[in-house]
Amino acid sequence: MEKAHKPKKVFVQGPISPDFVAKSIASHQSKTGIGAHAIFLGQIRADQKEGGLVTGIDYTAYEEMAEQAFHNIREAAFAKFELTCMHIYHSLGLVPTGEISLFVFVSSPHRRAAFEASEYIVEEIKANVPIFGKELVGDAGFIWKENT
Amino acid sequence: MSFQVKYFGMLAEIAGLSDEVWNAAGGLTVGQFRAQMLDKYPAMRDKKFKIAVNQKISEDFVLIETPAEIALLPPFAGG
Repeated sequence: MEKAHKPKKVFVQGPISPDFVAKSIASHQSKTGIGAHAIFLGQIRADQKEGGLVTGIDYTAYEEMAEQAFHNIREAAFAKFELTCMHIYHSLGLVPTGEISLFVFVSSPHRRAAFEASEYIVEEIKANVPIFGKELVGDAGFIWKENT
Repeated sequence: MSFQVKYFGMLAEIAGLSDEVWNAAGGLTVGQFRAQMLDKYPAMRDKKFKIAVNQKISEDFVLIETPAEIALLPPFAGG
């Protein structure tokens, strides 16, 4: 039978704190069928641009469509890989350089599914979720980011 | 016909607003809507974007059926 997964809240305002990541890990200690977690964290890089260094990214999204896209990615990943659970969080608003804007957390009985699922999910997010990022550069400049 | 249009990212900056109601004399395909929009906002001509109809990215031949929410989506930058 198809497992139905309820749509989950993905967006968080501002950076994702390391404390939140730690608590997410801790909350899985009771799920003893898990043998492997894979975690991907996206961090804001201080790229050198013409107008100076990137100081942060201001994220916006077409939220309704993005939530649906995240839901579709979750369903596809559950169908494709042997996963016990999956959590995805993405920032909206300003995330300064050095802070975390994406947290993908997959758990499986075995490592291979966890590794592969985390890569699949991150690539799908970058390609298919309508999230927009304004890189703030130097004192007052900005560049609209584009995933490649 | 009329429908809702939403602008995101750099396209919202060019339009100077994040949403508006679009009024058209008759039925429109996505491609015809795109042409009208580029007439209204010529600065979008050299920008890359996709058009979503009711949250689904749509080709130019698709006929817009109301009620519709159209969204102009610049390149994605999540992650």
